[in-house]
Amino acid sequence: MEKTTLKKLCLFTGLLLVGLLIPLIVKNSYWLHVFAMAYFYGLIAATWSFLDGYAGQFSFGNIALVVIAGYTSGLLAEYTGLPLSLGMIAGVLAAGVVGLFIGYLCLRFKGAYLSLFTIAFAEAIRIILNTEHRFTRGPCGLHVEGLFNTTSVVPYYYLIFFILAVSLFVMYRMLRSKWGLFFQAIREDDEAASAMGVNIVRYKIIAFVVSSIFCGIGGVFYAHFSQMLTPNFGQIATMGLVIGMAVIGGVENLIAAALGGIIVQFGLEWLREFGAWRMVIFGALLMGVVRFARNGLLAPMYKKFIGEEV
Amino acid sequence: MYSPEFFLMQGANGLIMGCLYALMALGLTLIFSVLKVINFAHGEFYMIGGYTAYFLVSVVGGVNPLVGVIFAMAVLLVIGSLFEVSFLRPMHLGSVDRPAEYAILVTFGLSFFLQNLVLALAGPFPHRTSSFMAGGIKIGVLTLSADRLIAAGLSLVLMAALLLFVRKTWTGKAMRAVSQDKDAASVTGINPLSMNNIAFAIGASLAGASGALIAPIFSVVPDVGVLPSLRAFIIVVLGGMGSIKGAIIGGIVIGLVESLGAGLIPDPSRALAYRELYGLIIFVLVLLFRPRGLFGEAA
Repeated sequence: MEKTTLKKLCLFTGLLLVGLLIPLIVKNSYWLHVFAMAYFYGLIAATWSFLDGYAGQFSFGNIALVVIAGYTSGLLAEYTGLPLSLGMIAGVLAAGVVGLFIGYLCLRFKGAYLSLFTIAFAEAIRIILNTEHRFTRGPCGLHVEGLFNTTSVVPYYYLIFFILAVSLFVMYRMLRSKWGLFFQAIREDDEAASAMGVNIVRYKIIAFVVSSIFCGIGGVFYAHFSQMLTPNFGQIATMGLVIGMAVIGGVENLIAAALGGIIVQFGLEWLREFGAWRMVIFGALLMGVVRFARNGLLAPMYKKFIGEEV
Repeated sequence: MYSPEFFLMQGANGLIMGCLYALMALGLTLIFSVLKVINFAHGEFYMIGGYTAYFLVSVVGGVNPLVGVIFAMAVLLVIGSLFEVSFLRPMHLGSVDRPAEYAILVTFGLSFFLQNLVLALAGPFPHRTSSFMAGGIKIGVLTLSADRLIAAGLSLVLMAALLLFVRKTWTGKAMRAVSQDKDAASVTGINPLSMNNIAFAIGASLAGASGALIAPIFSVVPDVGVLPSLRAFIIVVLGGMGSIKGAIIGGIVIGLVESLGAGLIPDPSRALAYRELYGLIIFVLVLLFRPRGLFGEAA
């Protein structure tokens, strides 16, 4: 077995073991809750890294897709007699379909259309959910049913840990396949990629839809875990948090971006006593990392340890 | 309800707001045309403009609101120039990988930072600057708010000043040269880096001016810049990225569409909220039918 493969196997098995053992050590349900939210943010940061770090498409829409999936599932459960599982599938599908629509609309062109459109789209979704409060409960929040018949956080912990691990594995395998090469070719030089016969629009859309579907999975989990959806979760500030997490971890490395999400979520929890200043600190850190450590803080460590990039 | 006066009134208000939108979008398009950067912190420059005017006029006090606008523009000129030198210049010196992504990240990072900084310093509560002039002004059958008319008039003056600057002065012409071809411009002795700096500072100060002009009409809160910046993005896409004419006409079009469109929804709370969505519909239509915008160059 190659040395890098062996090291990777060690790292991934190690992380997996630590993740599985945590509920046996951490008994405090508050901290388990923080862990579960950290994994959720890790997943969304990874979907952002998948799209931006590999295919080079900058979106502000990931949290909006989370919200769309969550509300689809929550509203179906509220107003129809549909079983939760079907509503959840519908939520993920809704994120995928909306992703396909946005991708078709924006990715046929070069330039920043995707970033501009998704940031306006995200705000529009928030406005609609707030305005149609008779249907969505608006700012008061939509109550969503939990998944397990218990008040314990442990089942949710294992569920989101499983979702995160499987999602990272699937995205990782995709990036290691022919698709991943096409994505990176588009990112490095889309004209050259096009000249080599890559259908760039198609692969950009594929990357966007895949990332949207994983956002949808995260969104459905978030809805049934937090059991309360508010439109303001979808504000641009939340997306800023996700982008910052991925950038601080390392945009060009799926695993580092996810770890960035987990670590930053803990950092923010830890800085809670600073109140409003913690987001100022986070914003300054984000700008500093973008300016002086473009590859993030974790990705270079990963590269040094493993000996190759993801 | 839909009397001729109603449409006249909505149309006049749309024109007024359109002038203010155009001023904001003008700053964005100026920055884009020279630096090829979309400034995702434009809304926060607008917000800071509102807060600095509020600070000078209503906290320090004893000054005319017009001085507040000039003060806000000066502050944003300095902030814009400093940010450009420290964060955007490396990109134009070629020392940054994937510059397109870097530009979005660093301006968006600034937006996140400024919004939270102001939240931490000034708190979440709304503040309103004192009026330019209280009451209304009667024009024919219409009575329009004096503050709005003055704000729109001043934004027309600022737009005219910018057009003169860009067309008549050496610096303005040099900026246009850089926007057309950076390398050719530098051969003729223009320093593209200083043109970048001037363009970004002026663009930021125009956003600050619109924030300060609107401060007496709407209150300022830390995230007050979010919707105006999204609107400015849509105006610039509609008018054509980097087109000055496009930003002005696009701004007025969006102002009119929002104002007349809002009049067509009977439920007033919906009408107010959905005003913001007309822009998104226009965005979709532009992407579908005319992606280069009204006055943009063909890709």
